[in-house]
Amino acid sequence: MREDLAELQRKAEAELNSAGSEEELLAIRTKYLGRKGLLTLLFRKIGNAAPDERPLLGRLSNEIKEALSVKIENALEKLAPQGKYGALLQEKIDVTLPGRGVRHGRIHPISQVSQEICEVFLRLGFSVAKGPEVELDYYNFEALNIPKDHPARDMQDTFYVEDNIVLRTHTSPVQIRIMEKQRPPVRIVSPGKVYRHDSDVSHTPMFHQIEGLWVDKGITFSDLKGVLTYFLQQVFGEDTVLRFRPSFFPFTEPSAEIDIQCIICGGTGCRVCGQSGWLEILGAGMVDPEVFKTVGYDPEEISGFAFGLGVERIAMLKYSISDIRLFYENDRRFLEQF
Amino acid sequence: MLVSLRWLRDYVDVELKPGELADRLTMAGLEVESVDEAGPEFTNVVVAKILSIKSHPGADKLSLCEVTTGDENYPVVCGAKNINVGDVVPLAQVGATIPGGYTIKSSIIRGEKSEGMLCSEDELGIGEDAAGIMILPGGLSLGEDLADALDLKDTVFDIGITPNRSDCLSVIGIAREVAAITGKKLKLPEIVFTEAEENTKDITSVDILNPNLCPRYTARIIKDVRVGPSPHWMRLRLEAVGLRAINNIVDITNFVMMEFGQPLHAFDFRFLEEGRIVVRGAQEGEEFVSLDGKERILKADTLMICDGVKPVAIGGIMGGMNSEVTDDTGTVLLESAYFNPTSIRKTSKWLGMSTDASFRFERGVDPEGVVRASNRTAQLIADLAGGKICRNCIDQYSRKIKPVENIPLRVKKVDEVLGVKVKAGEIKKILKSLGMVVNKTEDGSYLVTPPTFRVDISREIDLIEEIIRIHGYDGVPMSLPAVPERTDIKNREKTLEEKIRVILTGQGYSEVINYSFIMPESANILGLKEDDEGRKFVMIKNPLTEDQSVMRTSLVYGLLDTMRKNANAGCFDLRIFEKGKIFIAQKEGELPLEKEKIAGLITGIRYDDLWHWKELLSDFYDLKGCVENLFDGLMVRDVKFKSGTDVPLLHPGKSCGIFVDDKKIGFIGEVHPGVLEKMDLKRNAVVFELDFDFLAMHYTEEIFYREIPRFPISSRDVAFLVGKDMEGERILDLVVGESEELLEKAAIFDVYYGKGIPEGMKSTALRFTYRSSDRTLTDDEVDEAHNRIVERIAGLTGARIRGKED
Repeated sequence: MREDLAELQRKAEAELNSAGSEEELLAIRTKYLGRKGLLTLLFRKIGNAAPDERPLLGRLSNEIKEALSVKIENALEKLAPQGKYGALLQEKIDVTLPGRGVRHGRIHPISQVSQEICEVFLRLGFSVAKGPEVELDYYNFEALNIPKDHPARDMQDTFYVEDNIVLRTHTSPVQIRIMEKQRPPVRIVSPGKVYRHDSDVSHTPMFHQIEGLWVDKGITFSDLKGVLTYFLQQVFGEDTVLRFRPSFFPFTEPSAEIDIQCIICGGTGCRVCGQSGWLEILGAGMVDPEVFKTVGYDPEEISGFAFGLGVERIAMLKYSISDIRLFYENDRRFLEQF
Repeated sequence: MLVSLRWLRDYVDVELKPGELADRLTMAGLEVESVDEAGPEFTNVVVAKILSIKSHPGADKLSLCEVTTGDENYPVVCGAKNINVGDVVPLAQVGATIPGGYTIKSSIIRGEKSEGMLCSEDELGIGEDAAGIMILPGGLSLGEDLADALDLKDTVFDIGITPNRSDCLSVIGIAREVAAITGKKLKLPEIVFTEAEENTKDITSVDILNPNLCPRYTARIIKDVRVGPSPHWMRLRLEAVGLRAINNIVDITNFVMMEFGQPLHAFDFRFLEEGRIVVRGAQEGEEFVSLDGKERILKADTLMICDGVKPVAIGGIMGGMNSEVTDDTGTVLLESAYFNPTSIRKTSKWLGMSTDASFRFERGVDPEGVVRASNRTAQLIADLAGGKICRNCIDQYSRKIKPVENIPLRVKKVDEVLGVKVKAGEIKKILKSLGMVVNKTEDGSYLVTPPTFRVDISREIDLIEEIIRIHGYDGVPMSLPAVPERTDIKNREKTLEEKIRVILTGQGYSEVINYSFIMPESANILGLKEDDEGRKFVMIKNPLTEDQSVMRTSLVYGLLDTMRKNANAGCFDLRIFEKGKIFIAQKEGELPLEKEKIAGLITGIRYDDLWHWKELLSDFYDLKGCVENLFDGLMVRDVKFKSGTDVPLLHPGKSCGIFVDDKKIGFIGEVHPGVLEKMDLKRNAVVFELDFDFLAMHYTEEIFYREIPRFPISSRDVAFLVGKDMEGERILDLVVGESEELLEKAAIFDVYYGKGIPEGMKSTALRFTYRSSDRTLTDDEVDEAHNRIVERIAGLTGARIRGKED
């Protein structure tokens, strides 16, 4: 039995040495090591040998199997370029072709900017409030200290639905609706669509504003400056230079326009900033006592500031878009850039 | 408003450079929108004197002049006849440019050398006189640049005046601000004139029938005026601020309006019937021709200035042709009045006439400045048009405008509002510099009386604004109020909005934003029935265009419009979505119902044009998959897609309603071919629309983990032969309805009809998955359960099992 094994090993090795191709090697493997191979058959006969010889024969045949396997593998490896590896190389693909699958969609730039702005205020403890887009004249104007037949109404060209119903011209009516419902403190931001009777390169009849309101005991103009500076530096960068200058809104007093130093020219004057070096970015002010009285707050007890900004304006600056109408064309070539 | 620096300097010393002045004004709330250097359109024109004039030997109509600029003499050929030896004239030297793009060259004119050109006002663009050479006044130095010599250079500021600052709608108003900001003194013009013996009151009278609308009216008669052109200095000032010079009388009224902010009007007294003024409402339907030559039909409440018989001016807005000052006017009646701002605004809006006068009256002029402006105008008319001012100005002021007096101001309140301490001394100084009278009270606070021209100041807060405006916003430090600990309150709608964006963009859909207004015709295009809610449009009374005249009742039209616009731009493949409101009109006087919706559209090829696939057109199931993913991502369960939903804009056979818990929350389907055709769309599109508000109520973020099963599944596939109309979900519902403990899941994996399948039938293949939570199932167990289910379904549906037909 031992001789049979040794003989088989010798013969197999001799065949291996003379084998020159992958096919021959694979045939030898099958001939000796396959399920019906010679070594396998011999191995099965071990059971017929004397019991004390069986462990030794078993070990020996395992050793031969192992040695042959390694030899065959090594020989196959040597033949690699023409062999299995070569075959894998034959399967080479063009990795530069584009990948498969649906391309992801884009979030509209106005939504992106609006989201970014709201996030800053959410971090400051503001919550998001909403109000109707078709609004009563009372909320859009009167309660905001803009009576009928007041020249301040010229500041906003209005779409009318009925004599006392308008498309809201700003997000400010949300201030009133919230204060009517809620006692101070109030900290809200209210993003949304607003409408004005206007259409050219820098005006669309619909655009987006974000209104903000912080009302509590002891809120000052100094707080207005602090909060809005923090906000603008969050959006435009820590180094953004700002200026606060007096302005007029019927529902705030004192009122301010807030400009940032032109981010295009750095303040030296260019086409975007109209040579002034500054970009108007935000309107704000201390809530007018009349407005507090309208909603039933005591202006001696409570103070606060409100602000409003145009989202398109900020998006246009951020992405260097010169025609506001592009936001509403919804051209795929435009949308896919954001 | 345009303000000329030259003019401004008449009332205040300005040492700042124009740019600096602009910055200071802007930082005080008078936003300077632009600064323009204004000057004549010529160069190299100098002051020269005529030394001799000879006739041109070669031309009768030309003369040969010798002129001097002081240092040098030049021969100039000239065609004008109005010149004499010794006249001082403008000489455009060789190399000069004059308006019209001409450059003066040295030339030979009919054999005579000409080294320059003598110019008329018209040729220089500084006047309308083209008849002869401009004869310059004496006292100019020869050789001096003409622009400097005539003070033709100016800086013009365009200042945005906010509606509250009517006091700044005048040069003196701006000068007052400049004085307050720079600490200079305001110099008001001195008003002195002599009055003639004749008394205005003997010549005319004023009756105000409507004192609410016209609280104050003054009239003055000026006789023997000589109408002619205004002096150069006045024309320069008027033209610099954008007013056209007409004649001295009209120009003077305009000048004083710009100077003091009080609009004035001069009537030719000859045309005032009965020689008197009556202020009253118009007759309904009365016709009137205003100074701009337009015929106006008046309403009963339009305030008119009338003579004894007829209207002669629309009060506070515009005079009439019938009483216009013309070249042969001799006696004028000068009006200076105070009109009710609201009334002026209403009339101006109604007539669609906004004039310099109405603009000022509707914002509120100084009721106490009416007489002063009249005096100033009279003075200038006497000085410049040689008029005789009749004694006494008629001043009807029956409804006295009560001035605001003694506004209490607490120094502490200033700090409270601003968050910065402004010293009491500075507060006082600022208020005084703005013309306010400041008195201290016993308790240390102030009583402040603003000047009557500051119609915007009546409350403490108004004073505080003035203080900080002049003190400077830069002087307020920055602070951050304490931010509350709870900063995690995020509203559900906002969160949902973000989730939807993430889910839909992840599936290749891009967000669009369409206008909320659409065209009314869209209801017909979408085939809405007469009683469809979608026809309850909120209509805009004053739309920009008919295409944008109603508020949308669905987002779908906008998506289809986006598809069309993109197709026109050559892009036929789109996956888009929009979130926004729709508006359903309610009863008159009520706000519409506003509902938030989310909608999407797919059209064109399923995948971008890549090498992997040939064109595969997207269809219903692409969008349905997207909607299913949306619900999945929002963890909204029990969503049903039920056919037979009647949405007219959708293909009746390829659409369905979307239901959650039997409540319809939207629809999905292929767009009806008729709609596509009407919108001129060539390709199919599939759309969905969902109720955002419902999703906001029902989405959840709560996740409960379930144990991963430890034992393997066994699956069995069966193909049912059923009628072609049998919906897959009906079979699945039956399967799920079977209470087989071991059945984990059943899913449709193939639907086939055509070859090999009998006509009117289809094969719906289901894969059944069986599993037990506590053991590995044996084949027998599975087969037993499986056969039971399959037989039941076959029984309930009449389905045959494919492969077992025989």
